[in-house]
Amino acid sequence: MRPLHKLERRLLVSLARNGGGFLEDVTSRANMSIDQARRTVEWLRSKGMIKIETITRHRIEVLNEGKRAIEHGLPERRLVKVLGEIGGEATIDELVKAFDSTRQEFSAAFGHARAKGWIDTFSKEGRTIVRVSAFDRNQVEESLLRRVEEKGLLFEELSEEEEKVIDELSKRPNYLSKIGTKIININLTEVGKSIAETIKEVREIDRLTPELIMSGKWREQKLRSLDVEAVAPAVYPGKKHPIQRFVDEVRGAFVSLGFEEITGPIIQPSFWNFDALFVPQDHPARDMQDTFYLPKIREPKLASKDLVERISRVHMDGGGTGSKGWRYNWTLDEAKRLVLRTHTTAVTVKYLADHKASEAKVFSVDKVFRNEKLDTKHLAELHQIEGIIVSKRATLRDLMGVLSEFYKILGLKKVKFWPTYFPYTEPSLQSIVHVKGFGWMELCGMGIFRPEVTLPLGVKNPVLAWGGGLERLVMARLRIEDIRELYENDLGWLRRVPLCL
Amino acid sequence: MPVITLRYDRLKSLIKGRLSTKELVDRIPYLGVTLEEATDEFIKIEYNPNRPDFSTSYGIARHMNGLLGFERGAPSYAIEKGKVKIIVDESTRSVRPFVVGFIGKGINLGDELIEEVISMQEDLHNGIGRHRRKMSIGIHNFDVLRPPIKYTTVPPDFGFVPLGQKEEMSMGEILSKTDVGREYGHIVSSFSRYPLLTDSLGSVLSFPPIINGELTRLTSATRNLLIEITATDLLAAEDALAIMAATLHDAGAKIESVRVKSSSSIRTTPDMSLQNMQVNRKLTNNLLGLRLTDREVSECLKKSRISVALKAGKLIALIPRYRADILHQVDLVEEIAYGYGFERLSPTLPTSKKPGRPDGNLSLIGLVRNSMIGFGYIELMNYSLTSQKVLYELTDRRPKALIRVENPKSIEYEVLRDVLFPSLLMTLSKNLHEEYPQRIFEVSKVFEKDASAPNSIREVYHLATAISHSEANYTEAKSILSSLFLQVFNMNIDTVPAHHPSFTSGRVAKIKLAKRNIGVIGEVSPLVLENFRLRNPISVFEVDLNKVIFIAERKT
Repeated sequence: MRPLHKLERRLLVSLARNGGGFLEDVTSRANMSIDQARRTVEWLRSKGMIKIETITRHRIEVLNEGKRAIEHGLPERRLVKVLGEIGGEATIDELVKAFDSTRQEFSAAFGHARAKGWIDTFSKEGRTIVRVSAFDRNQVEESLLRRVEEKGLLFEELSEEEEKVIDELSKRPNYLSKIGTKIININLTEVGKSIAETIKEVREIDRLTPELIMSGKWREQKLRSLDVEAVAPAVYPGKKHPIQRFVDEVRGAFVSLGFEEITGPIIQPSFWNFDALFVPQDHPARDMQDTFYLPKIREPKLASKDLVERISRVHMDGGGTGSKGWRYNWTLDEAKRLVLRTHTTAVTVKYLADHKASEAKVFSVDKVFRNEKLDTKHLAELHQIEGIIVSKRATLRDLMGVLSEFYKILGLKKVKFWPTYFPYTEPSLQSIVHVKGFGWMELCGMGIFRPEVTLPLGVKNPVLAWGGGLERLVMARLRIEDIRELYENDLGWLRRVPLCL
Repeated sequence: MPVITLRYDRLKSLIKGRLSTKELVDRIPYLGVTLEEATDEFIKIEYNPNRPDFSTSYGIARHMNGLLGFERGAPSYAIEKGKVKIIVDESTRSVRPFVVGFIGKGINLGDELIEEVISMQEDLHNGIGRHRRKMSIGIHNFDVLRPPIKYTTVPPDFGFVPLGQKEEMSMGEILSKTDVGREYGHIVSSFSRYPLLTDSLGSVLSFPPIINGELTRLTSATRNLLIEITATDLLAAEDALAIMAATLHDAGAKIESVRVKSSSSIRTTPDMSLQNMQVNRKLTNNLLGLRLTDREVSECLKKSRISVALKAGKLIALIPRYRADILHQVDLVEEIAYGYGFERLSPTLPTSKKPGRPDGNLSLIGLVRNSMIGFGYIELMNYSLTSQKVLYELTDRRPKALIRVENPKSIEYEVLRDVLFPSLLMTLSKNLHEEYPQRIFEVSKVFEKDASAPNSIREVYHLATAISHSEANYTEAKSILSSLFLQVFNMNIDTVPAHHPSFTSGRVAKIKLAKRNIGVIGEVSPLVLENFRLRNPISVFEVDLNKVIFIAERKT
């Protein structure tokens, strides 16, 4: 058997010694709080050591008029007293005046007094005279009311006669009310009795204290056994946000593959976010509907005059890159508009322009913004994974290989590649990965930067690039259906969501 | 991106070889389109904006026939010389200067084909046409018209019966009273005269780019079509026209050209001639990691419906006019990859000896994050965009130089955060029912105007922390703050009395590191707690991590 909790032992012993009864009485005899008692009763009941009966009982509550009667006597008694004081006889009008109360109260007092035979009336010279006929000095009703008020008696505890008195008084307005309550009656079962007998009265202690250890007195004490199977209160550790955990996991994957991390501003001129990536100025992605724009504070400096010129020409006529270009009127004003970057590629392409590296492997995992209305699949802010490789001998097949390896580190072993389109890569592929417990999902898009992107920056070698949203992966791994939940910051979820999923 | 529905029976009837439904569905992703949905009768696919020719089952079938080897090289389109003229009035030049067109004769327009053509027209309007601004297409019953066609402008009170109406309406009324008028009216409404196409008798074909006339409405009995495209961008008009002509040709129409005559020129449209581009085999092999011969390259291109010719020993690609997406030799590289088969490309892993490296600042910030976790704090992640109400009003702060996006979709996400702690208070107010004590922190970028920063906005990382429970106080927060700086940077911070509208006076301090202000610490004022409907005391500190890192690095 599981060791009994100390409260269980205390209640069992008390019940065996003092007998059962109502919960409140049992509680006070066992010297417990009512909450402790309720819990203990529930434990013992589930172990079959006590039995519980629920009985309905009526508590009598003394209302305002009843309280007045306790203090000043019943109205009929007061009436008789007043009548005595004015000579034992009076006309109705004289009595009303002397009683000094409402007409209604007088009527009630008069009626009750006459019904009890305390007064009678006779006619004299054509007038009705009231006189005291008998008087009961035993204040039976008043003293019963006082007892009820002071001791909170239950109706069921009264004698038969007292019950009658209470019933009569109940008929008077605002005297009494009977309130039904459920009362719990507790008794030991046979099992309970036999177990209670085995509980020895050794003085057990609950806690080892430094004093007991240092004084050596622990030798004279016994530490009570605990219910080691009982549920302990929940505690919560500090934790990384689940998205940050994945951000760091992905950063780790990049570093282990030999990539160097780059960072850059969230606020970018359209020039770096779009123009440098060969996204034409009337491209739908540049709509106010899709991209957040910021008012210009001062004229932003885009890049060297030479680079701005080269990029504008690529748009207009290909600018000697071998491309036809988009063949439209490129404007500097449009390129100067500030945006919250829609992809980290804005940072990557600036890195390429600044370093003109012939060999490089860099990555970033950082925030990007889309002017979306939030719903189960869309966020206005999310994290983007991005990696690039610049190398003389880089090929599309290498890109597929590196991405497969990257996914493998993240535990995604099955991957497929399908052709697709992006404005700044050619050829372009979409990667589809298999996530355990979720199925196939599109993850990173990838491709080789177009010469219209790299040549104006002064980068001659092929640039392999891939990128994608991190939150989709987090959703799949944490089995979340609504992407907004990731940013709810529900402490209940953050405290309880397991690290391994 | 646009989505089209393809019925299997229709698509299979256009494919020039035998193919099971399963084989067909399995091929879909290798066309460069995304399979959205597959049922027993149809599939829905999403295609990319570079391939507007995929807007009908004819376009998809044309490409599939190539990749499956049923047809090779560029399709040929015989254009007959037609007699119809479009006469362009000089007044259109400032409004919508370009018009092109053709006649499609002898077509059998069933309901399905009408539906497909109209859906293609809509996709082209939205894509190439940039919602009809750059170009818009009118498709008319040619048989009710009396050529030549006139393209001119008229004042807004000019009236005709627009498509779908019974009564004549003025052009002004069309713009204000019809759905299409309200949606696209902005394209022409600033002009004093509106563009109009009529026949020689003055019957109205269309009021571009808004609506056609009721007169030329298509029915399933229509046999001969006039297609016209008006535009502000001639290239866009010609690109769309080539796609329309190829599609109607494949649907069985005989295409006749139209002459467009203006005061300065005469052009014959559509132009369906093949475009030449030299094939770069070396570039192809370098980018794809293959070793294809000229012959193999040619075969691959032909599968992608591009013809190949040898001129002076050089391989020349002959590209159909509807492939406006081919701008550069790298686009041919991709076409070769399609022909070769992306599924046949096996991954290779290049070796590299250089070690990887995380960003130094982010690593230091990671140490701060880990220390806060060690103190038992839960990390939050809030949006950088928030509302002016949370950021300033509820925290009783005055907006000094707030940074608001120009075009928010919701007032809840419109201002960039300049501090983080209001988001923390908001989070606590949403978690009243969760057990206390609540200890939370966030590390994120904040934004402030700064003339010396790039784009005049400084972006720095902040750390903000909050503790909330019935006895939360300044001292508890300061213990964590002091310990954090000793543990991570081995530096002591100082706290000096300060005033801050969000905090109780006398219980708020500036945080100083090496005599420089790096942040604020304090007990949140009861007024602010009340504003957020918070019930427990809260103490907060927030520091600028970029400053901290700058100071810490200078010290060492």
